[in-house]
Amino acid sequence: MASAQATAEQVERIIAARSKAKLVRSLIYAVVLLLVAWSVNTTIIEDTDWARMGSVANVLESVAEFIGIDWGLFPHLLEPALETIMVATLGTLLGVVLCVPAIWFGALNITPFMPITYPFARLMMTLSRSIHEIVWALFFVAAVGLGALAGVLAIAVRSIGFIAKMTAEAIEDLDPKPVEAIRAVGGSEFQVFVYAILPQVLPVMVGVIIFEWEINIRRSSVLGLVGAGGLGLVFFRQLNTFNHPGVTTVIIAILILILFGELVSYFVRKAVI
Amino acid sequence: MSVKAATPARSGAKSKQPLREWKRFRFPQSLYRWGGVLLGLVFLSYSVVYLNIPLERFFNMFGRVGTLVTERYYPPEIDYITEPDYLASVVDTIQMSYLGALFGMIMAVPLGWFGAYNMSPSKRFVYPLARFVAMSARSVHETIWAILFVTILGFGMMAGVLALTMFCVGFAGKLFAEEIEAIEMGPVEAIRATGANEFMVMVYGVFPQVRVAFTGIGIYTWDVAFRAATVVGFFGAGGMGWYLKRNILQIETYRVSAILVSIVVLVLIAEGVSAWARARVAKAK
Repeated sequence: MASAQATAEQVERIIAARSKAKLVRSLIYAVVLLLVAWSVNTTIIEDTDWARMGSVANVLESVAEFIGIDWGLFPHLLEPALETIMVATLGTLLGVVLCVPAIWFGALNITPFMPITYPFARLMMTLSRSIHEIVWALFFVAAVGLGALAGVLAIAVRSIGFIAKMTAEAIEDLDPKPVEAIRAVGGSEFQVFVYAILPQVLPVMVGVIIFEWEINIRRSSVLGLVGAGGLGLVFFRQLNTFNHPGVTTVIIAILILILFGELVSYFVRKAVI
Repeated sequence: MSVKAATPARSGAKSKQPLREWKRFRFPQSLYRWGGVLLGLVFLSYSVVYLNIPLERFFNMFGRVGTLVTERYYPPEIDYITEPDYLASVVDTIQMSYLGALFGMIMAVPLGWFGAYNMSPSKRFVYPLARFVAMSARSVHETIWAILFVTILGFGMMAGVLALTMFCVGFAGKLFAEEIEAIEMGPVEAIRATGANEFMVMVYGVFPQVRVAFTGIGIYTWDVAFRAATVVGFFGAGGMGWYLKRNILQIETYRVSAILVSIVVLVLIAEGVSAWARARVAKAK
């Protein structure tokens, strides 16, 4: 009898817990829905100039302007495409060079002086990742003037964060036994780095760098918008002269370029790793 | 006996041959490898020449950047970023990234389904098409999407939301497809064996397996979309980017640096929130 009562109590408690969980869940759903409704209201309904947009037909008409390919533009796209790839490559390499201190300071097990150098490296990585490449490019255009150098620097600085973070994480969980072995045979700190740490980290680092290179092609294709050359400049020029099929052509060229980058990175990855 | 006789003979034969140092790569491979490295170096140096990069300016740059930061950007005008106008634009940016990530994810779920090789309804037509759509949405930079939508729809946050949606479709679609490709096929076969159609297989066989991973990816997508949302306003698509552009054009450098500080702080907060939420979701598994 007593045990039956206990069971009944338990059942009741479980039911109460379930209904409470249900209540919490439906509250969360309600909050999410309210947030969506609020955001839709402020961003889409209130902030749009419906009169300028006109009817659906008008919008479709302006979309239709972009359909088509400007074949005459293709010969003029080769040089900017080459420039875009070059900016991406140089930027990635410079980024690798610049991220060496960030990696060294940012890996907890090799950082020279934890309380100062580690937060410094973290700050470097966060700054690099959180500021958009367009803003970096504007900053460097102000510092070194218009041209490809500003784009290269912007891409280099923007790449630091990702490469340094992934590599520092790889260093943090490397196998300590080879390090001990090299130390035990009397290797110097430098030899420990070259023969024990580098061989373990290199595959990760090469993979990360190739991945970043792919992303950097995408980034360098827009840096022309702020005066750093490449396909972005052609894109902007087509848009400002209202040559809308030309805009589509440039976008297709960017797609082809990125496909090419993916192919190259596939083969390089196969050859190196 | 025979062993003893053979040993000196073999060592004699060996001593006639010159000792060879061990190398990791023998002749043809080593040629390809060094050839590859050489080609890379030639390409790099050629691109420095081709892009007209003034190297002397590069090395003088560091001092210039230092003075630029300390003299022109240094005391950030904190008062500016606490003005209600600016704070309202921050809220707008958060809303834009939220909606963009949400719409993008809703559209990315079918894209992930069609683009996953094991679950795609038609491996010959739908699979490559879905992959191509995801790739092109991802390859076109978010600023280009923003410019296109501003051109078509006019200034305002709707263009920004749509640009972020396109960006998130590509980003989440790829990750969703990869996640679906990694599921266990047992439950899928079980549901199929009961005679369910493709849609029911998706709902009852696949979705329970990827629910948690999708939530994590969704939160991460929002994090990335927020970072992109800080600049789409640069091209007229609403949010903080517009304030950034205005102050850059007016050379209000102290305000620009204040805005940059606010962006870094907000991105840090967003990263913290997304890391916390992802940890919570992973625990709920």
